[in-house]
Amino acid sequence: MHTVTVRIPTPLRTLTGGADEVTATGATIREVVIEMEGRFPGIKDRLLDEKGVRRFINVYLGDEDIRFLDGLDTQVKGGDQLSIVPAIAGG
Amino acid sequence: MSAAPLSSTDDRAVASASPAFARPSPNANVLLIGAGGIGAPCALALGQAGVGSLTVVDADRVDLSNLHRQVLFSDRDIGRLKIAAFAEQVAALFPAMHVEIIRARFTAENARDLLGRASVVIDATDNFATRFLVADACHIAQIPVVHTAAIRFRATVIAAAPEGRPCYRCLFEDLPNEPAPDCGTAGVIGPVCGVAGSLAADRAVRLLAGDTSATGVITTYDGLRSTLRDVVIRPRADCPLCGAAPQISTVESFRYAAPACPATPV
Repeated sequence: MHTVTVRIPTPLRTLTGGADEVTATGATIREVVIEMEGRFPGIKDRLLDEKGVRRFINVYLGDEDIRFLDGLDTQVKGGDQLSIVPAIAGG
Repeated sequence: MSAAPLSSTDDRAVASASPAFARPSPNANVLLIGAGGIGAPCALALGQAGVGSLTVVDADRVDLSNLHRQVLFSDRDIGRLKIAAFAEQVAALFPAMHVEIIRARFTAENARDLLGRASVVIDATDNFATRFLVADACHIAQIPVVHTAAIRFRATVIAAAPEGRPCYRCLFEDLPNEPAPDCGTAGVIGPVCGVAGSLAADRAVRLLAGDTSATGVITTYDGLRSTLRDVVIRPRADCPLCGAAPQISTVESFRYAAPACPATPV
């Protein structure tokens, strides 16, 4: 079990009480998301669907897109930083 | 006082330090898709950079709700075609820049014609369907493209080189089929659009100079933290547009059918 930092994009900050960065724990990214869901209900559904990470959202571990690692099963270590990058379309 | 010169001595001194900011060729044409909140500041930056030819595509009319961010329009323009008011303002500020306006939406049917003489494309549209269409059409035509978007306090810019790898689909695979932040109801802060437009112009001018150093990343501006961040985009081997076995080699309208847009953004 490790503690990581998760950067929260502005659209999701309504779920984190306005926090732009939170800490969360887990051994994998999947566990981190589940742990966050316990404290920020609704965030899991905004990030994941039945197939995994929603296709208009990207999750980065450090500078690496987790699709190029092991996806939700990617292992994390203490001090890692997760970033959530959603697609936006407004112009 | 006469109009300011297109490029001051100081500008040229700075530009000479980096080929990336060389004055664009007078023959270069920038196709700007979307004359809205990002398109307006983008056009101003392109004019200041000395772009010689700008084509603007849009079909909307100016609405009161546009005015806080669409900085080329005033309340006198409400109800007018955006491209008409847009071209007037840009022409007044940059008389040396040739401005062509096209009243249309960018569609699968007209994509090929609209891309015909574009040296670089700026995607400043307001919906995912058109964004994916622009990405596909530019990749197929081998034209560099800059995708720029803004919502609430956040802006993103993604530039793709002429060979288009990595591309928009490497990052965002396909149209969202669930709630996604592309509704007018989500709102956007005006200055965030200004940042998006300026960054897009910067990327376009670099691409015109053949500088692809700003491709392969997504640049995100967070207006609440006042931060800019680049994250690397890696080419996806199974990308349907630019991967090893691409499935998209033409633009067909069925591929860009937008889902209903609910009010709740991500």
